[in-house]
Amino acid sequence: MLRNSQSDERARAMAHPGRFNPIRIQSEHSDTAGHFRVVLQPGKSLHDALVHPLRQVGVTSASTTVLGGVFSYLEYCVAPPDPRKEAVIRYSDPIIAGASYLVFGNATLGRSSEDNPMVHCHAAVRREDGVVMGGHIIPEKTIVGTDPISVLVTSFEGFELRQMYDPETNIPLFQPVASI
Amino acid sequence: MMKPIIVEHGTMGRVAYARISPNEDLVRGIEKVCLAQGFRNAFVRGALGSLVDASLTIKSDGSKILVKGPAVEVVSIAGEVRTDGDNAISATLSGVVADTDGTVNGGAFIPGGNTICMTFEVTLEEWLPADHAA
Repeated sequence: MLRNSQSDERARAMAHPGRFNPIRIQSEHSDTAGHFRVVLQPGKSLHDALVHPLRQVGVTSASTTVLGGVFSYLEYCVAPPDPRKEAVIRYSDPIIAGASYLVFGNATLGRSSEDNPMVHCHAAVRREDGVVMGGHIIPEKTIVGTDPISVLVTSFEGFELRQMYDPETNIPLFQPVASI
Repeated sequence: MMKPIIVEHGTMGRVAYARISPNEDLVRGIEKVCLAQGFRNAFVRGALGSLVDASLTIKSDGSKILVKGPAVEVVSIAGEVRTDGDNAISATLSGVVADTDGTVNGGAFIPGGNTICMTFEVTLEEWLPADHAA
């Protein structure tokens, strides 16, 4: 039967706990992007090394690429199914990667639900034990090593990223909102 | 027959950020972001989020690698979106993913095979070719 043929297979999806949003893509644009190069300073956390210099130039929402470099200490987590079933997945407990080489990653800068600067970062890393892994980096715990690390920043104008509760997935996550 | 363009000169235009919802397809979703924003051509400038499973290919025969989740975290994507002479829009996305153990894998994301799990954040920078008619 045609319906069962391989070409008709559909990718697996998830049944989320909350009410779905009929708007499936939330997007905003700026007429021009701001571009910055930030050099993460040794000894600082990934969070502080990114947030503080950008705040000084007035950037609070941005998309960034973290170029490769050594971190003296790194923690990350992965995203398995939520055992409590409050959401379909839940971040694992932090995994200590130790002194690690971050191969590359992407980090988004915005404001948290509590109106503090927030960095959401995913990256591939070579851990202290030599294993290459990937996941959600914990920016507050991850410390820049002895050499500075370059970051390419694309900043937004006219809108900002805010961590807001998403009823569908039952977690707070970054959403773009027009600036007032 | 139109001569293929080897070097395309142009400039960067607008920049868009999108949050794509769960159960939408990654590749189609990024194409829809371009339709929503009126971008004919764009480059991916940042991408992170999670997939239910990742469906990747590393060969031109279209054979698949299935990375099982949920969730599979997308670490990074290099990619572009192009609109052809028939106005067909297509995103070509290559990236690195990590499974629920953190094990990494990589390849080209197959359209229709990469359902977003919780959220997907993507930043696109519009590409404006200057000498398209050449």
